[in-house]
Order: sequence, then C-alpha cells, then structure tokens
Amino acid sequence: MRTLGLDDVTFWYPATANPALENITLDVGPGDIVALVGRGGAGASTLLLVAAGLAPRVTGGRLAGTVSRGARAGIVLPTPWTQLSGMAFTVWDEVAFGPANLGWPGHAITRHVDHALERLEIVPLASRDPATLSGGELQRVIIAGILAMDPDLVLLDEPTAELDPEGARAVWRLVRSLAGEGKAVLLATSDVDALPDVADRIVWLEQGSVRAMGEPSLLAEDALCEAGLGTTVADLWRAAALPAPYPLTVVDAVQRWR
Amino acid sequence: MALSRALAFDGVAFSYGNVAALSDVSFEVAAGERVALLGRNGAGKSTIVRLVTGLVHPDAGSVWIGDWDTADLAPEDLARRVGSVFQHADQQLFARTLREDVGFGPRALGFPAREVRRRTDEALDALDLHAHAEQHPYDLSPALRKVGALAGALALEPSLLVLDEPTAGLDRAWRARVADALREHAERGAALLVVTHDLAFAAETLERGIVLDRGRLACDEPLERLLTSAERLKPLGLVPPPIAALSVALDLPGRPVRERDAAHTLARVAGGRSAS
Ligand SMILES: Nc1ncnc2c1ncn2[C@@H]1O[C@H](COP(=O)(O)OP(=O)(O)OP(=O)(O)O)[C@@H](O)[C@H]1O
Ligand SMILES: [Mg+2]
Repeated sequence: MRTLGLDDVTFWYPATANPALENITLDVGPGDIVALVGRGGAGASTLLLVAAGLAPRVTGGRLAGTVSRGARAGIVLPTPWTQLSGMAFTVWDEVAFGPANLGWPGHAITRHVDHALERLEIVPLASRDPATLSGGELQRVIIAGILAMDPDLVLLDEPTAELDPEGARAVWRLVRSLAGEGKAVLLATSDVDALPDVADRIVWLEQGSVRAMGEPSLLAEDALCEAGLGTTVADLWRAAALPAPYPLTVVDAVQRWR
Repeated sequence: MALSRALAFDGVAFSYGNVAALSDVSFEVAAGERVALLGRNGAGKSTIVRLVTGLVHPDAGSVWIGDWDTADLAPEDLARRVGSVFQHADQQLFARTLREDVGFGPRALGFPAREVRRRTDEALDALDLHAHAEQHPYDLSPALRKVGALAGALALEPSLLVLDEPTAGLDRAWRARVADALREHAERGAALLVVTHDLAFAAETLERGIVLDRGRLACDEPLERLLTSAERLKPLGLVPPPIAALSVALDLPGRPVRERDAAHTLARVAGGRSAS
C-alpha cells in the first residue's frame, strides 16, 4: 500500500528547457518517513510541490509521468509567512481554517484544533493575532494548521528552519509520532544531523535526479560527505582522516572511540 | 574612540501594546566583534533587530549606534552605519535582478555609479553570487534570497551588520560561504550581531554569545564556554551543537567547538593512541 507514488516523474517549470526533476520514482507508504537531502537547488522543494499537487497546478509548468496520491495531503512550505490564510484574527481561527474548509462539524474542528495547538505547544498563543507572531511562533502555527486537517500524507519543507533547538527537537519527535499513527511523511531539511533519529529512508537528490536512496547510514558515506550532505560527526571523522565507516551521530562516535 | 563601540543597549525596554518583548536589556558590542544573539522562539531577538535598524524605538532606555542615539533616527538615517537582513528577507528584495537589488542600498545613499558598481561586485564576490546576479530574486530559493539580501547589506559597507537567521534552509556549502564572508567583513572592523538558531553556524563564525530569555538578558559569554555546557544551555531552550557535544563526550583536550579545531584534535589524539 502506498500513500504517495511517483512513477517516472519529470517536471519543467514554465519557460525553462531543463527539467527541475527528472525520472523520479518514489513510494511513500503509511508510517514511512522519507527525507530528501541535496544541495540547494537539487529539487527537494519542487518534489514536495509535485507531491502536494501544487506543481504544476499552481506553479505552472509541465509534468510527465504519474503522481498518485490516494489521500489527503498537507504541506508546510519553507516560507511559513506566505501560508497564513489572511482570514483569521486569532491563532485559534487560523488553525481552524483548514478543518473548517473541509466542512467538518464544529465539535470535530474544536477537537482537532485544540489537539494541534497542544502538540505544537502553542496553547498560550491561541487568542493572539497571527500577523504579529515571531518567526518560530508562526512556523508552529502553520504546522499546527496542517496537522489539524488530519492529513494522511504530511509534506514538510524545512519545517524547523525558524525553530529554536528545543522546538526543533520537539517537531522531529512529533514527526516520529505522526508516522507511528500511520501517516506517510515526506520531508526536506538542511538539518541532516536530525535525520538519523527521524528518517526511515534517505533520498539523495542531485540536479533533479535521485543519486542514491537508502537507510540513514547513507549520511555517513564518503560520497555524501564529499557533497556536503553527511552528518557533522561523519564529516568530522573524515576531516580527521580517521578510518571509515564513519560514525553517524555523537552516540555512534562515542561507541567507536572506546 | 580607541576600541570603538559599534552598538550599545542601555536599559532598553520595549512592548508591542500589552505584549512585553524586552525589559532592561543592556549590552555593548565593539567594532570588529562577532556576536551571536540566541534564545527561544519569542525571546525578543527580532525585536532587538528592529530596534537596531530603527524600525521601532525603545519605550525606556536607549540604543546607540556608535555615538548616535537612535531615538530620533529613522531607518534610512541609520543605513549609513547599519546593514541588516530581516528574518523574512522576502520583503527586502524588490528589484528585477539580484544585481540591481544589491546595488540599491549604495545607490540610495547617493554614491556615484562607479562606486555603486564596485560595492555591488565586491558583495556578489564575497558571497560567490555572480552566477545568480542576473536572476530575478523571486526565482531564487527562499534561503538564497536571504543570501542575496545579505549581499545587499554588505554593499552598504556598514560598521554594524545585524542579521536575523541568515542561514535558515542553507546547505553546508552555502553556510560556509556565508561564514567566510562574515568573518572577512568583521576583520575589516565591522561589528556583527547575528540572530541564529543554528548553533553550529554560530560556533564556526562568531565568538561571543548573548542569550535572551523571555525578553531579558540571561547570559553573555564566550561561545566556546557556553556551547560546551549542556546544563547552562538547557534552561535557555538551547542544545549543544554536534561538535561541542562530541568534544565533551570524548573529553577532547581544549574542548574545541569548531569543526577544523576538532578535526585536528581528534586526529592528534587518535594518532597518540595508536602509537602507544
Ligand atoms: N507586532 C507584534 N505585536 C504583538 N506582539 C509581538 C509583535 N511582534 C512580536 N511580538 C511578540 O514579542 C515577543 C518577541 O518577539 P520576537 O519576534 O522579538 O521574538 P524572536 O526572539 O525573534 O523569536 P523567533 O526565534 O521565533 O523569531 C514574542 O512574544 C512575540 O509574539
Ligand atoms: Mg525572530
């Protein structure tokens, strides 16, 4: 069973000759957490837009291949400030905006909104005007708004970019628990150090194509370190010219060192 | 002024209506100093950036840029000394090409065309942005747009550079480029005040950490010391970055927090072990 399936997908932005994505085949099933890594511009954000059905529908451009999405998808963009509805005067109403559009009964909306606010630890912000929040407060509100819609497919583009280190950890834990509830998660992040504890599968994108796919241990391999995509600890081991295989995390390194 | 003061907060308080954002904040930053401004979401970091750039003014206390009291100054006055990148830098770019955007500041300050061109080229160089110079800012990724805004700030050749999350979403190669450009700028005598949640980037680039906690100054000390102390960081919502955590976990001599120092130390200690 798969929640998201991409079959040989190629995508061109409007008025460009070279595709932004080329021959991508990828499945994400319930309970899976798949992380896209790559240098800036490698196509991770575009892939998420395609997965969400926003490309080409909203971006324009052209798509070849097939995208199947048997479920409700929710996407968190890397620019949370562009994602506010503009229709809500309180954080509570902002988070309720998606669920209300789904036509749910009032009690279901309330339950989902309250739960989402709790999960993102933003209950105290409920009556604030969303237009006046700090960067990280806003990013939490946007994530809460997506979760409140109870999507089966959760798409996250740099979901921790504006979060403080503790908040980022909390969001990564939340991602794990969403997968535990059977949701499919596809995400992109430049915080590769978080991935060994979060992702089931890593997809390495290079110039719009899949260069490699595998377990998080991929993030300690020479080729990824070379591309600047290895974990900090793997990279450090390599820089110190210590023998491979490189440790992936601080915990691995401590074990190796003994 | 000998070791001249680039920035000073003196007993500053600020509220947004009934939301108190800062209370009694005092600190100074000297010319050439590289300072990280850290703290939880909502701690008041961006509010400090808005005060430094003159977008808002203190309710109490004062903010000094060098020997200017900002009380009666507007952002366009301060632009002669302060270059800035805001947290959501999208609102900062509006020209048709990145090159035009980078040149906007020096042009607005009234420099002749040749000087504008020199500054624009140098700023694009410093961040290795020439390949993107003719692109429309909106065709850049949000993370790169921020690097573009940083180039615009560098082109002002300001004595104080204030940056709000300059590396969010950047890959490691770009982060390293930004780090190099910032260090070079500081070597030429400019002060840096950098808001960041990326403590690894802070460790590589900056030297002193100021931490805000719910609008108050909770700590001000060398980053090496701060980042290797998990107990100090925890109540402030911070977590040691991987290199600092590893330094402590492996008990590396000198507790390095920068990757290059740690790699040297690690290689040396490992070499010593295999020899014995
Ligand atoms: N325009 C505004 N009106 C009301 N409250 C505001 C406004 N702007 C900010 N605040 C509040 O002031 C406090 C400090 O906000 P600030 O933006 O300075 O935080 P920050 O440290 O930059 O946080 P982050 O890391 O999330 O960006 C927060 O509680 C925020 O909600
Ligand atoms: Mg902020």
